[in-house]
Amino acid sequence: MTVIRSNSSNLRMGRRSLLQSLGAAAVGISFAGLAGCGKKEESAGGGKIAPTGEEPKLNFYNWDTYIGETTLGDFKGASGIDVNMTLFASNDELFAKLRAGNPGYDVIVPSNDFVERMVAADMLVALDQAAIPNVKNIDASFMDVAYDPGRKYSMPYTWLTLGIGYRKSKVKAKPDSWKVLFDSDEYKGRIAVLSEAGDMFRLYGKYLGKSVNSLTPADVKSIEAMMVKQKPFIKAFHEDNGQDLLLKGEVDLVLEYNGDIAQIMAEDDDIDFVLPKEGSQLNSDTLCIPKGAPHPKNAHAFINYLLDAEVDKKITETILYPTPNAAAKALMPDDYKNNPVIFPPADQLAKCEYATYRPDMQPLYEEAFTRVRAS
Amino acid sequence: MALLGRRRPVAPLEYTRKTWMRLWIAGVMLFLYAPLIVLMVFSFNDSKRNVVWKGFTLKYYEKALNNEGLIEALVNSLTIAALATVFSVILGAMAGLMLWRFRFPFKGSVEGALSLPIIVPEICMGVAMLIFFAKIDWPVGLPWPLNLSAITIAHITFCFPFVALVVRSRMASFNREQEEAAKDLGAGEWQTFRDVLLPHMKPGLVAGALLAFTLSLDDFVITFFTSGPDTVTFPVKVYSMVRFSVTPEVNAASTILIILTIALTALALKLQGVKAIADAH
Amino acid sequence: MSLENWQEHKRPFAAIAGAPLTWLLVFFLVPMAIVWLYSFGQNAGPADIAITGTLDNYKRATEWLYLSIFFKSLAVAALVTLICLIVGFPVAMAITFASDKWRPWLLLGVMLPFWTNLLIRTYALMMVLGGNGYANKALGALWGGASWLRTLVGLQLLDAWSPVQLLYNNFAVVLGLVYVHLPFMVLPLYSALDRLDRSLIEASLDLGAGHLRTLWTIVMPLAAPGIFAGIMITLIPALGAYLTPDLMGGTESQMIANVIERQFKRANDWPFGAALSFLLIYAMFILIALQSLRGRKPAEA
Repeated sequence: MTVIRSNSSNLRMGRRSLLQSLGAAAVGISFAGLAGCGKKEESAGGGKIAPTGEEPKLNFYNWDTYIGETTLGDFKGASGIDVNMTLFASNDELFAKLRAGNPGYDVIVPSNDFVERMVAADMLVALDQAAIPNVKNIDASFMDVAYDPGRKYSMPYTWLTLGIGYRKSKVKAKPDSWKVLFDSDEYKGRIAVLSEAGDMFRLYGKYLGKSVNSLTPADVKSIEAMMVKQKPFIKAFHEDNGQDLLLKGEVDLVLEYNGDIAQIMAEDDDIDFVLPKEGSQLNSDTLCIPKGAPHPKNAHAFINYLLDAEVDKKITETILYPTPNAAAKALMPDDYKNNPVIFPPADQLAKCEYATYRPDMQPLYEEAFTRVRAS
Repeated sequence: MALLGRRRPVAPLEYTRKTWMRLWIAGVMLFLYAPLIVLMVFSFNDSKRNVVWKGFTLKYYEKALNNEGLIEALVNSLTIAALATVFSVILGAMAGLMLWRFRFPFKGSVEGALSLPIIVPEICMGVAMLIFFAKIDWPVGLPWPLNLSAITIAHITFCFPFVALVVRSRMASFNREQEEAAKDLGAGEWQTFRDVLLPHMKPGLVAGALLAFTLSLDDFVITFFTSGPDTVTFPVKVYSMVRFSVTPEVNAASTILIILTIALTALALKLQGVKAIADAH
Repeated sequence: MSLENWQEHKRPFAAIAGAPLTWLLVFFLVPMAIVWLYSFGQNAGPADIAITGTLDNYKRATEWLYLSIFFKSLAVAALVTLICLIVGFPVAMAITFASDKWRPWLLLGVMLPFWTNLLIRTYALMMVLGGNGYANKALGALWGGASWLRTLVGLQLLDAWSPVQLLYNNFAVVLGLVYVHLPFMVLPLYSALDRLDRSLIEASLDLGAGHLRTLWTIVMPLAAPGIFAGIMITLIPALGAYLTPDLMGGTESQMIANVIERQFKRANDWPFGAALSFLLIYAMFILIALQSLRGRKPAEA
């Protein structure tokens, strides 16, 4: 994975093509006259106005380590817009914070089920597709998704899947079934699973051969019993920091996202990742504009910029997550494209599903999981 | 003084010179500082994660010092903590005195209401503040430091009852005859307060101020719900940065902070010491 | 001690009561009242709450599941407070009786770790306690030393050292909470002990009472208000802690604050979260009321 390094010759090329695409974006949103010239900010009056016609500012609310090292600076160079990036640590926090009103964020990065939830709560702005021409770079399979048909509110940024990260020297055989985590004492005291109730119940459903979205209250009951039975063999419910537990040797098997495990595999040869044969749950983090955003036009320009092939290539080199951007993926080296951890084989992915937002089931998951923990 | 002191026999109240007490303090200090020392050591670790030692580097210091967001967050945090401490000490001292001194209707309820901010789960108060500031349309996007007003208000709210608690427990020992004596000697209400009550209250105020500063500097939950894109504080920043484990960069920033605190305190004590000697002459 | 009636001293009363009470009302009671109303409502959409006057949230919150978690949390918090008191009392004594030169340094020594971010400190503590952490390495070295000593006196070697489980269980949660809350105990204790009349202690010692007896019969009763303040300031935040159990706890280390936090975040069930929070508040109120009733009687006698 350390091989992934950009070479500077196509970096320059990239910058120029970015400028062009940004210009195109500006045509889409603002008056055509502003778009053509190189130093847009000055032409538009004292450096106070971005090519989009708004003040050159943008508040980006993102996850940590989820952007290229120079992306924001490059965007400023290309558009004159100053991006102020602040970070959130979970979708729940993002939602809780925005639900009473938007304190000033322009672009946010919720996951698929939260896109649904936020659309249901009327918290997202419908995107102006014409302002985001780079949407052409997105792989067709990510365009018409159930959680946002026709990509009206969100643009895909990354996608990821849950699986089992493990220490090769400590397992007898490849742990390619959820059984080792959910229904067996084989690795007693050496496993950690997620602390998110919804994900846990859906994956148990997958282990039982059900769809992640078809669980019924009766299923929740029976899964709860299985969880109580399995609990003594589990060392910890981790807060999405399972990769650390695995790297430190606190546990030997962990339920985690493939991107997180891919990051630590670069540091420790003894670690591997497997997508269980029963299938798993897919997630996708997306770029959205919340209602009440102070700079919606800048936000469109920024989203379009992030979807540019060269830009997303550089982001992907840093974060090593699977990208839904086909044009960017094509630019990546082979050891990324052919990495089975980042891009699991198609036949395995076929068994994975996106979780949908189910307001009726979420409280049941939560309460059952509270019971499991209290038992 | 300390050198000479070693030869004297231990006086009964010199608890700090008794061996068992020294061992106890050493044990507590080890407990408190061992994690911090590990943290400091790992700020020099040449690895993205605080897990295995991979070699010495200073690059994370460079990174931390060049991380504008982190520095800005730190400045915000210190500003808020300083403001919150000043206001909390004033409000808390007033509340503490009021409860200690007066009998008034619904005193029990007032007392209960004053202890509420201590009792309420942080997340509940955070959500309350979020809704409150959203409902009254508290202006956002003001220039610094006015944009910190919402966070500062929230911090004062949960800090000053702590000060009140400490001040009140301190005042419980106050000998009222002193006050009456002062009044008999013709001192006015304010003069009595300044010359008699305040000196007695001082250790309580110091302890209260330390508590308030600590609480404000370290608060994450309530701050999270009252902060906006321009008003990130150190804990909020750190919390979001450690989703993928604590990076040495955060360690480096913390180390700088610790050393800065020690240096500033040493300086303050030194200046005060010089002044004390000067006063004595 | 007799309290002054506010009516006889209206001006000084207004001068000191006005500001804190107004502040409390506007910036605390009003926001909390909104959440209190939510506890009688239900979700009407992902971001809307309809206040219907229902008591369902309270019914759910008083189910045994949540009550048992509450009692367990209370037990953990009480244990933490007790340990903090035992560990912190000598520290507060040392600070009180230290020389003027040393006192600020000791005070700073206790406070300094707490100016480092809680999360960073918790992670640092976890590094020390982990299976391959330094606490285990130190214990392992001691074990190895003991084993070697045994060979000297002709005994067999001890079994190989196996790391002790110091993380991801209830022990870790208690230890972590003590680590976090210790200064909250030391500070009020210090401010209470500082004003003790030293001649009383000296008299007691002169009369032949031992240090422990003096401590028990003279120091403790005089420092009682400080001890009470310390207990309040430690017990209540410990009961509300969620980060430490989340990060350091095992599968069974769930505390009530974790449950409440999840209602406001993951479960997105603010009305239920509000009901749980207010149940906690009511319980605390009863505790404090009982305490002040008990405290009042001897004072009046």
